[in-house]
Amino acid sequence: MKLWQKASLLCAGVLLVVVAACSGVLLRYAQGTILDLARTQTEEKLRTLTTSFTEMTNYYLLDSDPASVRESLVRYCFERLGDAASVLMRDGETICTHLTFSPAEYFPEEELADDPPVLSVRNGDDRLLVTGGRVLAGGDTYAVYTVQDVSGVYRSVRTMTGVFALISLAGIALGTLLITLLLRRGTRPMARLAAAARRIAGGDYGFRAEVSGHDEVGALAADFNTMAAAVQSRVDALTDTARRQELFIGGVTHEFKTPLASMLLHTQLLRSANMSPEETDRSLARIEDQCRWLERMTQTLLKLLTLRQDVPVRPVPAAELADQVRDSAEPRLAALGVTLHTDHDGGTLCVNPELMRSLLVNLVDNAAKSYDPGTPDAAVWLTVRDGVIEVLDRGRGIPPEALPHIFEPFFMADKSRSRKLGGSGLGLALVKAIADAHGAKLEVTSAPGAGTTVRVTLKLQDDYNELIDSPPDPVAQ
Amino acid sequence: MKNRILIVEDDEGIASAVALNMQFVGYDYALFDDGRRAAESLSADHAYDLALLDIMLPGMDGFELFGYMEKYSIPVIYMTAKTDSASEIKGLRDGAEDYIVKPFDMLTLMVRIEKVLRRTGKLNTVYRVRDVEVNSETRSVTKAGAPVELQPMEFDVLLLLLKYKNLTVSREQFLSEVWGTDFMGETRAIDMKIAGLRKKLDLADVIRSIPKRGYRLEDR
Repeated sequence: MKLWQKASLLCAGVLLVVVAACSGVLLRYAQGTILDLARTQTEEKLRTLTTSFTEMTNYYLLDSDPASVRESLVRYCFERLGDAASVLMRDGETICTHLTFSPAEYFPEEELADDPPVLSVRNGDDRLLVTGGRVLAGGDTYAVYTVQDVSGVYRSVRTMTGVFALISLAGIALGTLLITLLLRRGTRPMARLAAAARRIAGGDYGFRAEVSGHDEVGALAADFNTMAAAVQSRVDALTDTARRQELFIGGVTHEFKTPLASMLLHTQLLRSANMSPEETDRSLARIEDQCRWLERMTQTLLKLLTLRQDVPVRPVPAAELADQVRDSAEPRLAALGVTLHTDHDGGTLCVNPELMRSLLVNLVDNAAKSYDPGTPDAAVWLTVRDGVIEVLDRGRGIPPEALPHIFEPFFMADKSRSRKLGGSGLGLALVKAIADAHGAKLEVTSAPGAGTTVRVTLKLQDDYNELIDSPPDPVAQ
Repeated sequence: MKNRILIVEDDEGIASAVALNMQFVGYDYALFDDGRRAAESLSADHAYDLALLDIMLPGMDGFELFGYMEKYSIPVIYMTAKTDSASEIKGLRDGAEDYIVKPFDMLTLMVRIEKVLRRTGKLNTVYRVRDVEVNSETRSVTKAGAPVELQPMEFDVLLLLLKYKNLTVSREQFLSEVWGTDFMGETRAIDMKIAGLRKKLDLADVIRSIPKRGYRLEDR
């Protein structure tokens, strides 16, 4: 059952109880008031009757009158003064009445007092008020009763109860209808929010709930949207990670399968074809190349995969780092006909020396490969200054459209050229991973034909103090 | 008339091996290492019976290149390291004849090429070695223009050697292709047929025994 339905039913129930209770109290009060009035009237009537009867009998009756005359006179006086609901009795004997019953049944003569109560009695279907008083007339004590029929009051109240019930029911129905409409209107934003939630759960992570008003529902919608945005960004991040992993695995597969395919084909040729000695030699050389290339790629891949996010660092003099890079890169640079210039400020860098050397050798190697073979005065500059390392060349540069992708694994701006130079497509990915592990910033500026500058900005020295003070990582040692 | 095959493969190692193989068995070929250059070359020369396309290519990928092949009705076999079934299905749905995943056997590639050529009716049915001419369609053999009578199995053995010209045909290959896989006999049966061929066609020095492996018809 919907919330608005529940609330409507509850409201209708409460309304019914309250209206019924109020009507009941009101009717009872009205009945009580009318009956009080009737009682007062009855008392008044009795008082007037007794007073007038006393005065009249005192005036007309003489002590000398015989008993029969006296009785006739008493009856005459009472008939003159009383009405159809008045009864005169003496010693339990009814003297004068128009009623079909004796009020003494309800109100015995002996119990009559000077200030008598008014009794409410039921006679058959009739509701009656009965009161009575003692009167002394001509030396005898008489009982005077006055009876008032109040059945009409009860009948009226019964009729009114019916009318009240009808009016109340109509009111309750109307009230319930209004409440239902209001509740439906009030819960509509909730329904919309629920629909939005279902839609987002269904995979439409970009969908947002409509925020209307500043009430709780509006706040809930706003909070809900915040949550949806958080979910979306997490999902996007996961999707992105999964996509990049897929690309990486696809790249690895492709990069491994291609040389393997080549080696397999050449091996089969060598085994089964009648190749000339030159062809045999070329095939063998091809296989050797592929083996070396696979070996190199495996090494790089292993480094890339085993690189952790927080590598142990220690202070390394810039001069030492530059010399190490020179030692590692020089033979290859010499083969390419490129000169390496190094320059440093004599300072100290907080880095992991092996990894940073690997990073810089990769950058220097890439810079050297940016020259066409035989370019005169081809050179690469490596400078270390104020925690910023720069590798600069005046080679071919990187096309602008390739620039955002150069650090992606297996991305090669010019694949066939890169292959010829023994590139695995993983060098710059490793550079990026090492820079990330150091918390360093990598920036590349390049203009086609004018050269490329790669800048590695290390974290500020202060940030490293805690790292230096912390004990060295036993695993990494 | 030799069959002509277009090879588009950017890996030099694979390209050279496939090309060498084509040359050995007697196919003509043209080799490109860039998708765009291959596509551009078609307007000038598109007389190919078959195209072997890599998918991840510089310039233009194999799927895009397929459109150009379709234009000139060149049947396509993809050879690629992509192993996900999505690209395989895409390749075949587009109408490629076949799909071969790297690393692959040269023999497999040869069989697939022959299948496609046969299906498209382009397969060369006439083989020549020295003055011997063999027609695989009519199953007739002539030597210097004069018909030579061969036993059916001798003919099949000869045809297999010609199909894999310059490549060693192993004993297992002979048995499965000529005798059928359920043949349990001696491999000496092969030697008998070879001896017959050498004698009838005077090809003793052309059909070479490769010790412990099989035979090779050498013609280069």
